[in-house]
Amino acid sequence: MSEQIGAQHVDSRLMRESLMDKTLIAGTEAPVRAILPNLNVIQIGGSSIMDRGHTAVLPLLDEIVANQEAYTQVVGVGPGVRARHILSVGLDLGLPTGALATLAAKSSAQNAYMVSCLLASHGFVYLEAPFVVQLLPAMLAAARGAVFNGIPPYDLWEHPPALGKIPPHGSDAGSYLVAEVFGARSIILLKDVDGLYTADPKTHADAKFIPQIGADDLLRMQLATLPIEPVVLELLIRAKLSKSIRIVNGLVRGNLSRALAGEPVGTLIHT
Amino acid sequence: MLEKTNTALLSELGMRLVSGSLSDAALQTATEATPNFAILPWVNVVKIGGQSIMDRGRGAVWPVVEEIVANLDRHKMILGTGAGTRARHVYSLAIDLGLPVGVLTVLGTAVAWQNAQMLQYLLAQHGIAFVEPEGFASLPHYLMERGAVICQGMPPYKLWEANPSLGCIPPQRTDTGCFLIAEVFGARKMIYLKDEDGLYTADPKKDRNALLIPRISVQELLSQDLNDLVVERAVLDLMRNARHIKEIQFVNGLKPGQLSAALDGEPVGTVIFNDGTAPGDAT
Repeated sequence: MSEQIGAQHVDSRLMRESLMDKTLIAGTEAPVRAILPNLNVIQIGGSSIMDRGHTAVLPLLDEIVANQEAYTQVVGVGPGVRARHILSVGLDLGLPTGALATLAAKSSAQNAYMVSCLLASHGFVYLEAPFVVQLLPAMLAAARGAVFNGIPPYDLWEHPPALGKIPPHGSDAGSYLVAEVFGARSIILLKDVDGLYTADPKTHADAKFIPQIGADDLLRMQLATLPIEPVVLELLIRAKLSKSIRIVNGLVRGNLSRALAGEPVGTLIHT
Repeated sequence: MLEKTNTALLSELGMRLVSGSLSDAALQTATEATPNFAILPWVNVVKIGGQSIMDRGRGAVWPVVEEIVANLDRHKMILGTGAGTRARHVYSLAIDLGLPVGVLTVLGTAVAWQNAQMLQYLLAQHGIAFVEPEGFASLPHYLMERGAVICQGMPPYKLWEANPSLGCIPPQRTDTGCFLIAEVFGARKMIYLKDEDGLYTADPKKDRNALLIPRISVQELLSQDLNDLVVERAVLDLMRNARHIKEIQFVNGLKPGQLSAALDGEPVGTVIFNDGTAPGDAT
């Protein structure tokens, strides 16, 4: 039946094959080239850093500027408390996860835009997702850094999660994916905790610090709360280029510089 | 600064959302107790296959166009297009060049876009618009006025597409993009037009003993762990967590009448359904 209506094909290794075939998929395993191997992706937390205002944000931006000569940096920014608020209203209205993701992404866009204004005099530009796709390499050659919305552009196409309705891909996932696709040198998440603990150190005095851990080991620990989005651990396990992320306390001066220099500050989560 | 949020304005869940960790399982569970509002409960999402329909040209596409036009007055449709053979070529080339999955997604999206644009030329005289993801807020208006809109089927993940667990091909392509459109709008139906009568026990193009499966649960299909499938595996994974879309239907777009039958609710082709295992319980 199918062959009665002749398809017009372009010759290729994948021609006429089912892309759902596991044998075919396995055959596509191949090395991936880093597009921007000198890139450092810095993620500024929303609730943890931005919502604290100038006392937290300005010293951090000074530190980014101080590292501008030595390191190529692109800065992703998280949404913070305004996203929590609109999630609350949206959930109450019965809106689906994809709609919530679209709404929350505007809050991190605001934060990213504010950061870009504060870094503008140092030549940083704000890039929306389509411009990250088309212009990031050119911007980094011409400009001296870029700021982007940490939340990935999944919008209405965000996955409904297994549990609850909160969009699973937030700014940690979006920043990580930018690092992975460009083959960045490092991905550093700036939070308001020193890194990863066995429990939330804000509520548990006996929480133990974890300086370094594999993503699969961390998933197996099934901690009740994590300082990063759990989906990032799943992404790390499938990494081809960005095989570790570092979580550092962005409220402590010097931590970002140490992390950029490759020093063992905070927590390193690796594949 | 750390301003205090005015908690009087927030529900109990709202207060927990504003103050707690979003990765807290108890908080995530609490969000389950909110209603599931369907945004466009009367819309049908129809995915038109790339390799299976569009690449075949006039012989396959014109009858599908006629059938879409015949249904415009009775069923509202979001028509998503697949990518097909040009995507396979560009994936093959890009993998050979060592490019990452996010770049392959950008490239594949262009192919689905081309197919959507061609379909729109064929439907333009009926007032059917092509809406890009950025224009989805206008989609209800087009649906009310003209009965259908066209979109390209790829999700707009671009460089942010996640790596697959195996290989280098983007795991979330046009089957997934169309499914997520149906899910977020709470659509009436999700129908896939392919070039086979439905799901088989093996690839019917290669194995003559392959048997048609008229109805199967997503849980059972996943547990069979078949080497090949009629649909992207990502769709099956997402189906288990979907709040609105409880079943998806696969019909042969090369057989006139199958799309209309599926739109009318008849059990043609293959239906993959969720057997009701609570989200998160299925493994």
